[in-house]
Amino acid sequence: MSKNYEYVPEPKLIKGDHTFGSITNLIAKTPLSSTPKLWYLAFAVANLLLIILLGSVGYLIWDGIGIWGLNNPAGWGWAIINFVWWVGIGHAGTLISAILFLFRQGWRTAINRFAEAMTIFAVMCAGLFPAIHVGRIWVIYWVFPIPNQMGVWPNFSSPLLWDVFAVSTYFTVSLLFWYVGLVPDFATLRDKAKSKAAKITYGIAALGWTGSFRNWWNYEKAYMILAGLATPLVLSVHTIVSFDFAVSLIPGWHSTIFPPYFVAGAIYSGFAMVLSLMLVARKIYGLEEIMNIDIMEKMNLVMMVTGNLVAFAYLTEGFVAWYSGYIYEQGIFWLYVVGPYAWGFWILMFCNVITPQFLWSKSIRRNVTLTFIISIIVNIGMWFERFMIAVVSLSTDFMPSSWDYYSPTLWDILIYVGTFGLFFTFFLLFLRFMPMVAIAEVKGVMPQADPHNYDEETNDFIEARAEPTMANQQTVQQKSE
Amino acid sequence: MTTKNKNVHGILAEFRNPKELIDAAEMVKDSGYNNFDTYAPFPIHGMEKAMGLKDSLLGWIVLAGGLAGMIGALALMIWVMGYEYPLNISGKPYINIPVYVPITFEMTVLFAAFAATFGMFALNKLPRFHNPLFNVERFKKASDDGFFICIEASDDLFSENEVSKLFTDSGATHIETVYDSE
Amino acid sequence: MSDEPNTTYWKSLNELAQNEEYKKFAEREFPENAPELSDGFSRRTFLRMMGASVALAGFAACRRPVQKILPYSKQPENIVPGIPNYYASAMPFQDALTGLVIENHEGRPTKVEGNEMHPASLGSTSKFNQAATLNMYDPERSREVRQNGDVASYAAFVSFCNQHFSDTGRNIAFISEANSSPTFNDLKDRALSQFPNAQWVTYEPFGEENALEGTNIAFGQRLRTVNHFDEASVIVALDDDFLNPAAHKNSVQNTKEFTQGRDLETGDDISRLYAVESTFTVTGSNADNRFRLKSSEIEQFVRALGEELSVSGISAGGSNKFTNHEWISELAKDLQNNRSQSILTLGNEHRPELHAAVAAINGALNNAGSTVTYHELPYAENQSNREVFSNIVDGLNDETIDTVVIVGGNPVFNAPADLDMANALNAAEHVIHLSDYYDETSALAQWHVNRAHFMEIWSDGYSYTGAASIIQPQIEPLHAGKSAIEFLNTIITGEKSDGYSLVQKTWQNRISGGFQNGWEQILHDGIASEETYPEVTPSLSGGLGAAMQNGADQNESGEGIELVIRPDSKLFDGRYANNGWLQELPDPMTKITWDNVALMSPKTAEDLGVEAAGLGVAEVDLLTIRANGTQVEIPAWVQPGHADGSITVTVGYGRKGIGNVADAVGVDTYPLRTSQNMLFTEDINVNNTGELYEIACTQDHNSMEGRSLLRQATLQEYRENPDFSQYEEAYNAELPGEEWANEHDADAPLSIFDAIAGKDYPDYQPQWGMTIDLNSCIGCGTCTIACQAENNIPVIGKDEVKNGREMHWIRTDRYFEGDKDNPNAMHQPVPCMHCELAPCEQVCPVAATTHSEDGMNQMTYNRCIGTRYCANNCPYKVRRFNFFNYTDEFLTDGEDPEVIQMAMNPNVTVRFRGVMEKCTYCVQRVNSAKIKTQIETDGSMKPPDGMVKTACQQACPSDAIYFGDLTDPESEVSKTKRNNRNYLLLEELNTRPRTSYMAKVTNPNPQLA
Repeated sequence: MSKNYEYVPEPKLIKGDHTFGSITNLIAKTPLSSTPKLWYLAFAVANLLLIILLGSVGYLIWDGIGIWGLNNPAGWGWAIINFVWWVGIGHAGTLISAILFLFRQGWRTAINRFAEAMTIFAVMCAGLFPAIHVGRIWVIYWVFPIPNQMGVWPNFSSPLLWDVFAVSTYFTVSLLFWYVGLVPDFATLRDKAKSKAAKITYGIAALGWTGSFRNWWNYEKAYMILAGLATPLVLSVHTIVSFDFAVSLIPGWHSTIFPPYFVAGAIYSGFAMVLSLMLVARKIYGLEEIMNIDIMEKMNLVMMVTGNLVAFAYLTEGFVAWYSGYIYEQGIFWLYVVGPYAWGFWILMFCNVITPQFLWSKSIRRNVTLTFIISIIVNIGMWFERFMIAVVSLSTDFMPSSWDYYSPTLWDILIYVGTFGLFFTFFLLFLRFMPMVAIAEVKGVMPQADPHNYDEETNDFIEARAEPTMANQQTVQQKSE
Repeated sequence: MTTKNKNVHGILAEFRNPKELIDAAEMVKDSGYNNFDTYAPFPIHGMEKAMGLKDSLLGWIVLAGGLAGMIGALALMIWVMGYEYPLNISGKPYINIPVYVPITFEMTVLFAAFAATFGMFALNKLPRFHNPLFNVERFKKASDDGFFICIEASDDLFSENEVSKLFTDSGATHIETVYDSE
Repeated sequence: MSDEPNTTYWKSLNELAQNEEYKKFAEREFPENAPELSDGFSRRTFLRMMGASVALAGFAACRRPVQKILPYSKQPENIVPGIPNYYASAMPFQDALTGLVIENHEGRPTKVEGNEMHPASLGSTSKFNQAATLNMYDPERSREVRQNGDVASYAAFVSFCNQHFSDTGRNIAFISEANSSPTFNDLKDRALSQFPNAQWVTYEPFGEENALEGTNIAFGQRLRTVNHFDEASVIVALDDDFLNPAAHKNSVQNTKEFTQGRDLETGDDISRLYAVESTFTVTGSNADNRFRLKSSEIEQFVRALGEELSVSGISAGGSNKFTNHEWISELAKDLQNNRSQSILTLGNEHRPELHAAVAAINGALNNAGSTVTYHELPYAENQSNREVFSNIVDGLNDETIDTVVIVGGNPVFNAPADLDMANALNAAEHVIHLSDYYDETSALAQWHVNRAHFMEIWSDGYSYTGAASIIQPQIEPLHAGKSAIEFLNTIITGEKSDGYSLVQKTWQNRISGGFQNGWEQILHDGIASEETYPEVTPSLSGGLGAAMQNGADQNESGEGIELVIRPDSKLFDGRYANNGWLQELPDPMTKITWDNVALMSPKTAEDLGVEAAGLGVAEVDLLTIRANGTQVEIPAWVQPGHADGSITVTVGYGRKGIGNVADAVGVDTYPLRTSQNMLFTEDINVNNTGELYEIACTQDHNSMEGRSLLRQATLQEYRENPDFSQYEEAYNAELPGEEWANEHDADAPLSIFDAIAGKDYPDYQPQWGMTIDLNSCIGCGTCTIACQAENNIPVIGKDEVKNGREMHWIRTDRYFEGDKDNPNAMHQPVPCMHCELAPCEQVCPVAATTHSEDGMNQMTYNRCIGTRYCANNCPYKVRRFNFFNYTDEFLTDGEDPEVIQMAMNPNVTVRFRGVMEKCTYCVQRVNSAKIKTQIETDGSMKPPDGMVKTACQQACPSDAIYFGDLTDPESEVSKTKRNNRNYLLLEELNTRPRTSYMAKVTNPNPQLA
């Protein structure tokens, strides 16, 4: 029997019937229109939390690290947990904008701007903790190699110092990347803006961008290179964060599986956070057609994969603990499961191992409400993962005589809650004043953007002939008769 | 307003869509113009061929930046730990290359990223405070849904009539002369 | 003595010097009344003044006593500011002196060490000796004389005495602490002869009275029992915690002798210690075989043992519950096999009859005269103090006594509750009280006189065994306090008195040959002569049988729960309650700080529905214990190894108005104690209130979790396999990495010595190392206090300890092993290991902790930013973090912080908030020795072996700690590293610790194991 093939184009990236102009208006209207009441309300709440943060950090600096629940075996507690948690979340943005860019995943354009913003603010929250968790914050600058009259330098063999460099580099590069992406959109806002103030502000931010192709030519090169740089960087950051633990010799820390396991966890929590935010934002700002269900499903798939990677890492740890015959590793794993912190372990298991399994079902992957709930649970789970690693391993390590139980104080909790204030203050400002979707990039992946989609004679756009955009591979299916 | 004694920056023509822009760009190039540019809200693929652009220099700049970061970081660490203030830390060798890898890597990326970003702006001569094109009201569409070509007066072959004719032939929807100042 | 300073050697030099600076200084320095020291007289000025006088007069003279005292090691001319002098003195504890050498910085005593020439010290100390400096600089010590509570002048008191005691017919009751000072006892005799109607009682809440009475019953004479543990091969401790300074006033010597008897290096067998006790004591934890027994059953046990050994006069009334007990038969066998080489020793508080019985058994075993000797006390009363005391109280109650003179002590707080001292003293017309603090008794006294600390006075006395010493002052009394001698003399003569001349008078006729030389020799050595109290070889008097008959009816112990009352291992009878170092020292057995608890066995706890504390459970049930008509609320603590059906409480807590440290800490349990039930009472009832109370315990987990951290074997196993403590034997596996190292990496050796060879350690440098012999260590905790005193470690308070932030640089881990009802307890001191491949160093981002050329892991405090990463990465968990500004809180609280600041060691930095700290191997001592050596030998930095002693090593009463240069193969520490018991803690981590351990070897009776 004869075979014949037919092309089945992928679903459109942008739903609805959009022109370049309508996209511009859809996205540019938020920054350029007046502020909605709801925004003020949200901003007020965020600010309140921010004030709580500043207040408790102030008291921390005034009175000392002792206001936290730390003790002799457990020298690190919530501060480090939160640091790792926020950094992890901060991985989604750069991952989406860099790695997916290199993989030509056109659907990233709908969320990359949004995710990058989240990344930057998350890393800000993360960066706060290493700074305030030291005993003498007023000399924190000693971790930088600054020539000084004492002639002493940092110890470059300390993972903590690697961390300083990794996180600050990551923050800087993400910021550059983000800004580079923003420039053409600032130009759009500049040209769309009615008020003089807006014209000037966006004008300055746009640096006089004209959309000249000679500029686009260098621009795309730069964007590609930045993506190429950010990709290893984003993987390196959580690898180095994991070194803080893996390079030490504490059972439960000293483990070669940590780098991949941490990176997977980071992507896992990062996507969860992007989803939680996106699902709310798309509703409020009516961006369902851009941040649409197809994209949500794709992200759910990423979560499912990374989630199972993490789960696999847990199993591996258990196996290695048993197989290594290393009594301290065995001891700590046993304490995870039945020890004084077992409750934390089982919360972790539920959130990070059970929950992602629901994502095997397509209907759940495409269900907004359930996805939202799952994304929240996953973030809780990832926090507990760090809790188990940081606190339990420390408080019950080699010398049973020194074992002690760690419990947080009010101040631990306030500072953690406060970082949400920091995060959302910035995030709301972003939603309000910046294009939350990369206008130029979205246009770039619309079928109209491709000269091939035009009739050779009439030069009219031919929807029917829509060939896959640069990001869409053709899928070939066998048609049975 | 009159158009007397104002020097012409160039002539701007608008086209309906990327396809026409690309075709037009090709014609302009073939007619031997050099100082021209096309403007669109997004990068149009294939345009570099149509305009006959050479590959960007950016790669070399970034390479330089990356190398600077790498060598700088390594040099600092080796000098500090090995010569400037050697300390017996955990009985490890003073110069202990493996532990320098993470920081070296981060510094490489950081400097490369700086080079990429600022190199790109430099090559694009940005930031730029004023651009004659902004005198054209219609040019605002360039960041929205407009597709333009501008042949600049600085080109040797430039003559208003020739250029306008070329544009009309290539099917421009609007043709307009751009002046340096209003 | 400050009143009319007699011109002396010291002063005359300065009068020659004639400089204004010194005059001002002198006026300041010898104030009319001492509190001036605090008012507006900052420590800074004080030091400047001192410095000036040094510069101008050529020697330090800070608060120097006016009389001449002699430096232990140097002539005064050599005094150089910054270089301490060492003076011999002695610390009285009850009626036993411990010889000390006191480190004196420009006239400011900062640290006590043992006096090697003194038999009760032999160079070591107890934790009470170590804590003495803090007692002296306690800002809350009473600072003035008080009349009816109002501040009065000492002169006023003197004039009162002058007229009041001119009537020698008065009915006076003297209540005094035990005191062996010949000067004091001469005065005592004078007092009793001068006031014919006077009565004198020597009362110690935990004294030797019953033991003395016991010998009286047995031998018809009140004699001191001295056990020679080094000569015994079998020791039976019957409820006697003889290694614990709180339970035995000669604990240091006992410990020294005991550990000598356990010395494995001699090659012969080590002694065997049986402990039969209710509470799990330090001694019990060092026993080879331990029998948990209610204190109320000890008597039956002794009777059964006596009968088994057929000691005349001791009967078990035919048979009792122990008659056919394996312990009795085994013990009897072992004792019979070691006649004249065994010791039975009984807890002080057991009733005299039982002491008599034990004496009889020792006699029957021919121990008397060899391992147990009896000595005549020159100052022994000839009748029972208990009787006298109750007579006095009766006398007070029917108001036949008008004046009570209390020479030290705090009877209102610690006298048996049934005597109701408060009430009795209220009845008295005049109460005169000499004491360190304005305490419970002072509050009822018409006259309170503040007592001077022993470092401020002239006095004298005998060691437990009778070696005489003179106590010489280290500093002018800070608060113009008076010594017991001066106080008593003032009462007798009605005049101001001067301890110096009183003591000299006593010694005039005791020193043969030239007085001056003899006197100076004694001051210099810190001991007059090695001689002991006259030994007597007593013969059993007939009294025993009868006495034991009276005992027989008290034979059967009830089935109910008994309450045992013991002195506290840290506060003793409460006299150290205001000492922060001791309050914060974890109890050797429970590891509890800042509280006293009701100890009970797991089984008893179960019956009472009491939950054991543990990891993550700091809250324990509150009990109400009702006895003797009163009831106290006290937290319950489950102590594995405690006797079932028995509850132990310790005293000394629950103080009011003593000071910020003592007040409101713990519960006052004295109300439960009556003269009939000084040790235990069975007539109690206990209820679990169900309320919870939080305890600050420094060790939440008691099991070693099968990790071979503390390695021990029985003597037999050790003989069969001398290498039992090596990693391969302990884990029955090869040391990880060893094979690899041998094959691949010649310069990654696993032994400390190869490491030194292999590494680039300069050869002009010593390489310091430490060894802790777990076979000697008894777990008393003296090292912790010594370290705290030497290294200016702050006291952080109960809340912070509860948060698990204790600051001790050397801690003693206590593990339980075996049956949860009757476990073995093992002690392991853990200081910094000074790993050669220190995990803490590589993780510090600012290189604040690095290695020194002489192989020490050093902390650079002023570089530390406090990431706490080093502490996390320390597998031994010995690093300590200043979570708050502890030092500041410790040294600048209270209205007069300058005083306590004087206790600090000027050679050690105090640490600021937010920095990490840890054991430094006493680097200040190491470096001063290295500098001295370098000067003397021009070049070499290697001090001769023994020149550097760390504070813990120096204080350790069991000489368990060795420290020295590992590059010297003949140094003590190098020898220990070659010992086959030597092993490294967590060796498999390849951190290569410089501190290692020598495994413990026990000698249990296989039949009872």
